[in-house]
Amino acid sequence: MKILIIEDEYALLKAIEDFLLAEKYIVEKATDYYSAREKAMIYDYDCILLDISLPGGSGLQILDEMKKEGKTGNIIIISAKNSLEDKIVGLDLGADDYLAKPFHLPELQARIKAVLRRKNRGGQNVLNIGNTKIDFDNRQITVKEQVLNLNRKEFDIISVFATNKNRLITKENLAEYVWGDHIDSADSFDFVYSQVKNLRKKLKESGSDVAIENVYGIGYKLTA
Amino acid sequence: MKLINYLISRITLFFTGVMLLWSILYFLLQMKEIHDGNDEGLTNLKQEFIAKANTTPGFVENLKDNAPLNLIIREMMQEEAEGVIESFTTTKIYFATELEKEEVRMLTTAFRCEQDGKYYQLQCFTSTVESDDLIKNMLYLLLGLWVALSLTLVIVNKITVSRANRPFYQLLDELRKFRLDSSRMIDLPPTRIKEYVQLNKSVKELLERNITVFTEQKQFIENSAHELQTPLATVIAKMEMLLEKHQDNREYAEEMAGLLGILNRMKRLNTNLLLLSKIKNRQFAKTAAVNLRDVLDAVFLDFEDIAAYRQITVEKKGSDSPVVQMDEDLAHILFTNLVKNAITHNKQNGKIIIGYASGSITISNSGNETIKDVFNRYQSEKSSGLGLSIVKSIVELYGIDISYRFENGLHIFEIKLT
Repeated sequence: MKILIIEDEYALLKAIEDFLLAEKYIVEKATDYYSAREKAMIYDYDCILLDISLPGGSGLQILDEMKKEGKTGNIIIISAKNSLEDKIVGLDLGADDYLAKPFHLPELQARIKAVLRRKNRGGQNVLNIGNTKIDFDNRQITVKEQVLNLNRKEFDIISVFATNKNRLITKENLAEYVWGDHIDSADSFDFVYSQVKNLRKKLKESGSDVAIENVYGIGYKLTA
Repeated sequence: MKLINYLISRITLFFTGVMLLWSILYFLLQMKEIHDGNDEGLTNLKQEFIAKANTTPGFVENLKDNAPLNLIIREMMQEEAEGVIESFTTTKIYFATELEKEEVRMLTTAFRCEQDGKYYQLQCFTSTVESDDLIKNMLYLLLGLWVALSLTLVIVNKITVSRANRPFYQLLDELRKFRLDSSRMIDLPPTRIKEYVQLNKSVKELLERNITVFTEQKQFIENSAHELQTPLATVIAKMEMLLEKHQDNREYAEEMAGLLGILNRMKRLNTNLLLLSKIKNRQFAKTAAVNLRDVLDAVFLDFEDIAAYRQITVEKKGSDSPVVQMDEDLAHILFTNLVKNAITHNKQNGKIIIGYASGSITISNSGNETIKDVFNRYQSEKSSGLGLSIVKSIVELYGIDISYRFENGLHIFEIKLT
């Protein structure tokens, strides 16, 4: 899997690169508009992470040119702007997703995986871990042909874990998935704790290969 | 006290005083003039009478019997007569025809008649203007004059002063309506009066400076919050990587997780700050008809699991579906913050009641503590405290009225849509 990161902040670029390399992706980098456009137009990538404000031009221009050239590249916009307008324009120009900075790397991973899944499985948005099937479109988990009864937040939680197998996800990180941008209260951690507890119980009872492990009380990770 | 009334009352008071003094002076002078005229007539009469008495034999004897009504003649001793000093007096005499005493001007004198060598006292009088009547009449006239003059003064003053001050009051009105955060310059009233031209100029400069500074400040906050996003993203990403790498070392991992928690808090604060300044900088310009009931339903769907976990029951009252012209995202942010607030500050087994009425929505939640100045808490124990500040800036943007009260153990937020 080849990923192009277009980001002018070198330290962030490096962090994303390290993260993706650890996930065994092949990573290419561009830090300004011209090199980014060149790479995006010449090569084919499985996924492009695109920052909008770049030295020399806008990431949206690159999107526009790619669209005109008929290149589709599974693009995820990563922008500090978090403006709805950019998001709409970006998605209109053919971007697949929009992630506002600052984001958590596991979330980026989840988005990348979602984009890749859509590309590789002909639009079928399903992930299999052992005997457990996660259907993202129908928000459904099946273990040994048995559908698990999960609430909305439980599904949100399992989808983060599923795309970040064996990776430590902090409780706080999970809380953000659950509460969105608006989490802030210490109570939300209790809630996450109870949701994860329920989720574990349901997985265990269904005989799933998937297990959620507690990591010193700071977070969890999915193992299978 | 209004400036115009102050001016008019002072001017009127002053002029009334002057008028009063002048009236008294006028009255005294007038009385003196009248008496002088009368006295001259009486003196002439006396002289004619004495001359006639001296030259016409039996004139006095005759007169004693048939004295004209305005003459009183009485014989007197020489010594007595010599003691008489000619004098004018104002006195009252009874007139049978008038059935009352009338005021008269009287000349009292004494003379020696050369025809018979006897001494006589002569009193001749003429009816004069009654000073009572004169005072009364003059008072009426002057009172009329005062009233007329005062009224004219008041009216003329009021018209001129208020006409001259119109630019001033217009400016005052505009200033009252001025809102720094709307960044709109006021309409300065046109004027030719030098002082007001200067006032306009000063106000204009002052406001423009303020608007500029305020706008720069807002922009600065937004820019800095914005600029912070990337470094924050970088640090958080790096920390997550580090945590990932060292998760086998428990002590290290816990330390890292603690740091990450602080960073995430910073991130959320910054995101909220950015949102707040975006709202205040009016970057949510799109408006559409938004059904608030739908918005609240969507928000509650998002929070239903959390509400269920905390055993909070949600109750909906009323069947109205208020529709408001606003940015749909802001409507979501508004109610997300309110609902989140209602859940966070609730108690176990508590409740949330949503009341829909035509023109208003109330969001009530059970809770114990009373909160002061609920929209301005910048810091609270449980959260960044920016949530309700965001709520406030959104409702202000659309001129929606929001109020908070604590009633029967319920925290009630009422949104009035007009």
